[in-house]
Amino acid sequence: MAAVSGVAQARAGCRAGLTRYCRRVVLAPFFGSAAYSSVPAVNSREGQQTEGSARRRGRTPQSVRAHIPPRTERMAVDQDWSSVYPTAATFKPGSVPLPVRMGYPVKRGVPPAKEGNLELMKIPNFLHLTPPAIKKHCAALKDFCTEWPSALDSDEKCEQHFPIEIETIDYISSGTSIRNPKARVVTLRVKLSNLNLDDHAKKKLIKLVGERYCKDTDMLTITTDRCPLRRQNYDYGIHLLTVLYHESWKTETWESEKAEEDMEEYIWENSRSQKNALDTLIRIKASENVSNVTKEELLASEVVKDYRNSVVALKNEGETENNMSRYKESVKKLLNIQVSL
Amino acid sequence: LEHGFALHAAAKDCFSSLASQDAQTLPEKPRAVFYTSESDPAKHTGHHEGRHYSIPLEELKVVFPQGLPPRFQQQIKTFNEAFVMVRKPALELFTYLKSSNFAHPAVRYVIYGEKGTGKTMTLCHVVHFCARQGWLVLHVPDAHLWVKNCKELLQSSYNKDRLDQPLEASSWLKNFKTSNERFLKEIKTQKKYVWGKQESTEEGRPLGEVVEQGLTRVKNASDAVGVVLRELKQQSQLGSFRLLVAVDGVNALWGRTTLKKEDKSPVSPEELTLVYNLRKMMRNDWNGGAIVTTLSQTGSLFKPSSAYLPQELLGKEGFDALDPFVPIPVPNYSPREFESCYSYYLDRKWLQHEKAHTEDGKEELRVPGG
Repeated sequence: MAAVSGVAQARAGCRAGLTRYCRRVVLAPFFGSAAYSSVPAVNSREGQQTEGSARRRGRTPQSVRAHIPPRTERMAVDQDWSSVYPTAATFKPGSVPLPVRMGYPVKRGVPPAKEGNLELMKIPNFLHLTPPAIKKHCAALKDFCTEWPSALDSDEKCEQHFPIEIETIDYISSGTSIRNPKARVVTLRVKLSNLNLDDHAKKKLIKLVGERYCKDTDMLTITTDRCPLRRQNYDYGIHLLTVLYHESWKTETWESEKAEEDMEEYIWENSRSQKNALDTLIRIKASENVSNVTKEELLASEVVKDYRNSVVALKNEGETENNMSRYKESVKKLLNIQVSL
Repeated sequence: LEHGFALHAAAKDCFSSLASQDAQTLPEKPRAVFYTSESDPAKHTGHHEGRHYSIPLEELKVVFPQGLPPRFQQQIKTFNEAFVMVRKPALELFTYLKSSNFAHPAVRYVIYGEKGTGKTMTLCHVVHFCARQGWLVLHVPDAHLWVKNCKELLQSSYNKDRLDQPLEASSWLKNFKTSNERFLKEIKTQKKYVWGKQESTEEGRPLGEVVEQGLTRVKNASDAVGVVLRELKQQSQLGSFRLLVAVDGVNALWGRTTLKKEDKSPVSPEELTLVYNLRKMMRNDWNGGAIVTTLSQTGSLFKPSSAYLPQELLGKEGFDALDPFVPIPVPNYSPREFESCYSYYLDRKWLQHEKAHTEDGKEELRVPGG
């Protein structure tokens, strides 16, 4: 309040004729807002007067401060960028010398510029990870590393000699403790083609692991985190792999009860389709009064083999134009449908 | 058909006023493009492909008391004539049927295709062909009607585990009687059937009596249907007549039902007498005829609307039951067929929009949704 009254006295002294307006200005609660928001129509003379008085008290409002150019204008082209952004930091328009525009375009305009652009500030940026910066990181870490073995120069050789891949993650954060509970997770990846499995063992292993096997890449992924320490989890993962391998080679007595629904792929032998086909063929032969044809003979004939292949393709690969037309042709041959034109 | 109707459903009103004019104005365009005067399907060849042929309305009532798609029935009522387009899948089926060996077990044909491509119309074309040739046609218009929305379910007296559907059975028997009058007098039963305490049908009576029994005593209708199917199957092998079993929506027989028993437990299809007997017909353990079926997603239960391939709609059980069958795909209209349909509608003055005559209008009709 004391400041306000002091201003009032000063103003009253300057312009007696305008005291009315002055008083209104002074009574406004905040000095800053009085200058440009509460009395917008006030003459510029008024504004300058109030600012002049304010400058006397040492505060510099933004609109009057001499405009300091941003740092970007003083940056050399060949400067060391890793010293501008040594760590992950928000986007500072004054420190990034790029004319970036981001955001939804203004009506009949362009996306907003980088100054005061919240969109650019919100998103994560990788200005601290430019290739020269990473080169410096690698150079610093090199002292802690050993040489890569020269014999392992291709991916295939790595896979051949080291089929099991172990993945662990270390976490660093600025805080009082170096421990992170997520660091105990261990992931084991191995391709089943590198393991010595026969047909039955492979099918049994895939059934045992369930979702952990990916058919497209033929990769088994075991993730363990049930033990408190990383070494314990690694040991457990290796133990799991060993147990799976040995168990899949064994054949239990109850495995003989495997039903048609459990089969992974369609097998034509002993299926309903085979039965139907053989029944139909036997009936056709009976109608033509051909003497007893044995099942084996029928199964070995060309038409039945063709039919079998088309049905297996249809069931295993799904229905496509190709498969359906193949099936149609094979059924026509099987049932002896000759089209007489 | 789909394209025309979708665009001009609203134009039906203004068409009815022009109907009187239509009869008087003579067609200006040469009708050979889309019209053929050959009304016997047996004589349809590849030469007739893409053209429409007409079925006389009296014949329509006898051959198709049921079974035509509802939109086609509306079209018949509007135009007062029934014009069916001759298409390749139907012609293919005719060649197979003409050259089939009736001593061999019945061959199963499954017509499949996407929605609205003309599967039911192809089946109707085949039914007309067989009816003209003098076959006995066992036409089940929509097997889906038997597995859903049944008002009355009775426990079957013949087999306690099964359920009867008197209403559906009696309506089917009525339509069967209309289309196959003369056969019902000729075919004789081979066994005695006991319907109740005092009612029975002796051996050697015409099959028409069994049908009458089913129609009068609605309680026994489902069993009557079963008897009819059994008799026909056994007697077609004797060779006195040819049997065509035409089923629309055959995937209903091996799907799920929406029916519930009194204790709210779901009914599976084989517990329904009608479905059980029809499944027996679908087996190829008889000869002297053919089985032509259609797969249908519209009206099917618990199947996604994009499913149209045989394995998707029939499921494992259905496929194994019908295997080996001859699949007949039905595609959308080819450019030539589209031209023919378009000219037909223009001729009938069905396309009333001013722009329909232009090339742009034609393009718009051809490709729905741009």
